[in-house]
Amino acid sequence: MTREPYIRRQREEHGRRSVAVLPVHYPKELLTALDLLAVEVWGPPGAPRSDAAGRIQAYVCSVVRNALAFLASGGADAVDAALFPHTCDSIQQLATLPSDFVGWKKPTLPFLHPKYPGRPSARRFLAEELRALATRLEEVAGRKLEPARLAAAIALHDEIDLHRAALLDGRATLPLDDRALYALLRRGEWLWPGDHLAELREARAKLGTGRPPASIPVLVTGYVPEPSALLEILNGAGAFVAADDYAAVGRRVVRDDRPPTADPWQALADRQLAAPPCPTRAADQGPRMRHLAGLAERSGARGVVVHVVKFCEPELFDVPAIRRTFEARRLPVLYLEGELEAQLSGQAVTRIEAFVEMISGAGGAA
Amino acid sequence: MILRRVQYEAAAHAVGPFLAALEDWRQRRRKRPARESPFAPPLESLRALKDMMMVHYLSGRYADGAVPVAWVTSGFPVEMLRTLGYHTVYPENHAAICGVQRIVPALSDAVEAQGYSRDLCSYVRSDLGSLDTGKSPVGRLPRPDLLACCTNICQTVLYWYRDLARRFDVPLVLVDTPFIYGEPAPHQTRYVVDQLEEAIVIAERVAKRPLDREAFSETVRLSREGSDLWGQCLDTARSRPAPWTGVDGFFHLGPVVALRGTEACNAYYRTLLDELKDRVARGIGGLKGEERHRLLWDNLPVWYATREITTLLGSQGFNFVCTTYTNAWAEASSLIDPADPMTSGARSYSQIMLNRDLPNKLRLLERLSREFGADGAVLHSDRSCKPYSIGQVDLKDRLARDLGIKTLLLEADHNDPRSWASELSANRIGAFMESFS
Repeated sequence: MTREPYIRRQREEHGRRSVAVLPVHYPKELLTALDLLAVEVWGPPGAPRSDAAGRIQAYVCSVVRNALAFLASGGADAVDAALFPHTCDSIQQLATLPSDFVGWKKPTLPFLHPKYPGRPSARRFLAEELRALATRLEEVAGRKLEPARLAAAIALHDEIDLHRAALLDGRATLPLDDRALYALLRRGEWLWPGDHLAELREARAKLGTGRPPASIPVLVTGYVPEPSALLEILNGAGAFVAADDYAAVGRRVVRDDRPPTADPWQALADRQLAAPPCPTRAADQGPRMRHLAGLAERSGARGVVVHVVKFCEPELFDVPAIRRTFEARRLPVLYLEGELEAQLSGQAVTRIEAFVEMISGAGGAA
Repeated sequence: MILRRVQYEAAAHAVGPFLAALEDWRQRRRKRPARESPFAPPLESLRALKDMMMVHYLSGRYADGAVPVAWVTSGFPVEMLRTLGYHTVYPENHAAICGVQRIVPALSDAVEAQGYSRDLCSYVRSDLGSLDTGKSPVGRLPRPDLLACCTNICQTVLYWYRDLARRFDVPLVLVDTPFIYGEPAPHQTRYVVDQLEEAIVIAERVAKRPLDREAFSETVRLSREGSDLWGQCLDTARSRPAPWTGVDGFFHLGPVVALRGTEACNAYYRTLLDELKDRVARGIGGLKGEERHRLLWDNLPVWYATREITTLLGSQGFNFVCTTYTNAWAEASSLIDPADPMTSGARSYSQIMLNRDLPNKLRLLERLSREFGADGAVLHSDRSCKPYSIGQVDLKDRLARDLGIKTLLLEADHNDPRSWASELSANRIGAFMESFS
């Protein structure tokens, strides 16, 4: 089932309202606790759905341009509101365009997560901003947030992340190709968490029962795995994603053991802060590079694919550090830049194939 | 340390002013043929401006080791650093100088070779390239002891300063100003106040002295006065003809950016204001000929092509009388109350145009257009400044629709001439001017 019929069915069968959510980080637990379906909008990929993309300059990333075109085309009319996390300058500005200039009639809600989140001031602000967002979401949901439901939602998302982490970490023993694995993981962007959990449990049961259709492990870091043909090309060339650091996927899997707390608001803030380091939250490069190096080491990756969306400043600023990090470890790096095209270019395909061929040599050294 | 301090003070108070005076004398003696130009003779204050900025950069060469040095973003609440005795350096200002000198491609090439994308802000590439190559039109910048970054102008500065912190291995203080949709919520202001308090603790530790709160209030008062004086200078362009051009404003902006909160800055703007008022009284305009049309400029200047653009327009009687960019510093400290620098500072620095939503920007554009009597607007679509540029397509349409003024969206990059198509832009500007007839 695709998104729009699913949204309608959720409304008809469960009375659930839905919220379109722009990338990347947001407290999904709040939406779940308020019985709101989150439907994430990562572009969508492919050609812009309307001329409204032209209202934003071509030097702005395609996630933002496509999202405006999508909202203007009526593509998200089935939802009840749109949530704009404060991911970057472009999404921050985008948040004011649909309702103020493009005629989007539904509520638009910003969510401002603090940058450099380790500071005491940032923690206090996050706690207050979460409550402020909850108040706005209550209006969309037409119901009050109950602490017990928030605690249950946090537990549900903890369990989801447990399964997602297990699938990513045990990837080498999972008999799925990358496209199928990512399709599963990314259905969490729009499925009701309970439905997503059921699929994850089923997939997790297959761990240890087989192998991916390729043998050369690579680490992939970037924004979003689009176009998904990238994964097919990788598999076809003999490599598979053994470690994931996509903003859309691995960087949102909370793995840390957090101190137990009876206060669900505290638990919610802790959970937001426990996610892996992400440049869109201005994570320090030191911890992020150590995190990436750890992923590469644990997965046995023989190469690193940096896959960014053109003009994405948070990602682009970390690229030199990523190069330095893996040059020091003698791990080859392939840099790919895209604009959410529907298909990979022939040039990109050739580069991926050549890269895999290079790292598949003796010892995988470049 | 003592020798270094003597060198620094000598550069700031003796050698620098002497060299500046010498340069003035040489300039006066030099018989240059008058350049063909549509502009009125330069303001007399320009000489004082050049002297002031020259002394600032010259003394900066001797600042490290003599006094604490902070590298600061243009929107950072600098008053606390000023009070703690920091010599402040503005990498944006330095990058703009690199842009005017047209050395950015060479600087950018150096960092692109390390994996920095050409799609990153050209100020960042200029600055990091200058660090890597050692090339700078101002000789050298002093090594920072502290980096002070405020996100009220963009998130880019945070990534930029994070990179600088790694290079210099010095503390980075961040003031993360939540973007304001509509009006600021109380918890957002509280967050900024909390961060200011955190920043002061770190700045005190680096400077090895406590912040004198009384002196801090006085610096805040000076800062507010400086912003106010700068605003009055800009306001003189409401007169017809405007006594200067918007381009003059880009350059005379230097002190309120780099020396805000000092008496020297305010003294300079008093002099400038007197001269502008005198020009207004005598009916002297920024253009030699008739000021036929009055324009608004939106976004950063195109530093390497400002003369090219304004000469083309000025030769046909088009003058920039107001810019959103220069206006930002008239706003920067305007809400600060010396009696309550923290909360009022948090409000003031959070509410500058780039940290507010597009309806607020539209209101500002419309207000400036009305108050300065602009009948046209050029919106610089700046590929290096997304927060300033996103929304311009709609803003341009609204300005044209609501005010009936002519508008032009001009594609460029504020610092990297490789993104500037001179002929194409000239054609577009030509067509824009024709639309007035």
